[in-house]
Amino acid sequence: MAKDKDKPMGNTIIGSSIVVDGEISGEEPLTILGTVKGKIAIAQNLTVENGATVEANVEAQTLTVSGRLTGNVLARERVELRAEAKMIGDVKSPRIVIADGASFKGNVDMDV
Amino acid sequence: MADKEPCLIGSKITIRGQVSGNQDLVVEGRIEGRVALDNRLTVEESGVVEADLEVADAAFKGEVRGDLVASRSAVLHPTARVVGNIRSPRLVIEEGARFSGSVDMDVELPPGVRNPS
Repeated sequence: MAKDKDKPMGNTIIGSSIVVDGEISGEEPLTILGTVKGKIAIAQNLTVENGATVEANVEAQTLTVSGRLTGNVLARERVELRAEAKMIGDVKSPRIVIADGASFKGNVDMDV
Repeated sequence: MADKEPCLIGSKITIRGQVSGNQDLVVEGRIEGRVALDNRLTVEESGVVEADLEVADAAFKGEVRGDLVASRSAVLHPTARVVGNIRSPRLVIEEGARFSGSVDMDVELPPGVRNPS
């Protein structure tokens, strides 16, 4: 499993068979392998791993998506959609990277 | 394979709403709402859970407010502070744990003994 190597050392992990329906907030890195519906506000890095499903409006410092994300995103620093990412929603962030293979539908606002 | 991964809610994370699933959950942060798990819930010393809980096994070392239904066991460790009702076939309250609430272990009374309530 190559993806284990570049997995961030986030403290909090929402495991692959966990479903959160509601609001997650906090000030430490968050990695999602499972399902989150609602709202996420993190003052740190948020990682949506391959296999994860997020239906939520997201606020984070940086956002890395390898899974499925539906919702509007506000990232203060950076958004990266990796090759496996499937995302629907608007993105507002000063820096956005979309890798070859990622699928994305929505508006991009880089505050140009 | 994925089911063996730990699910950890870190100390600076708050979840409001419902958490459900079938893998072990460790709470060092805060959960408000409801937790339904087919596995073990561990509330660490730094953890605060204000929620109704439906789990297989529960281990409390931190603060819990809410009713617990455990299908297998519940353990209140010495650092636990728990307010709520506990329903579990097996319950351990260790020396030092603070607990306020009712306990229901589904006791089968011997024939001829009447339930006091």
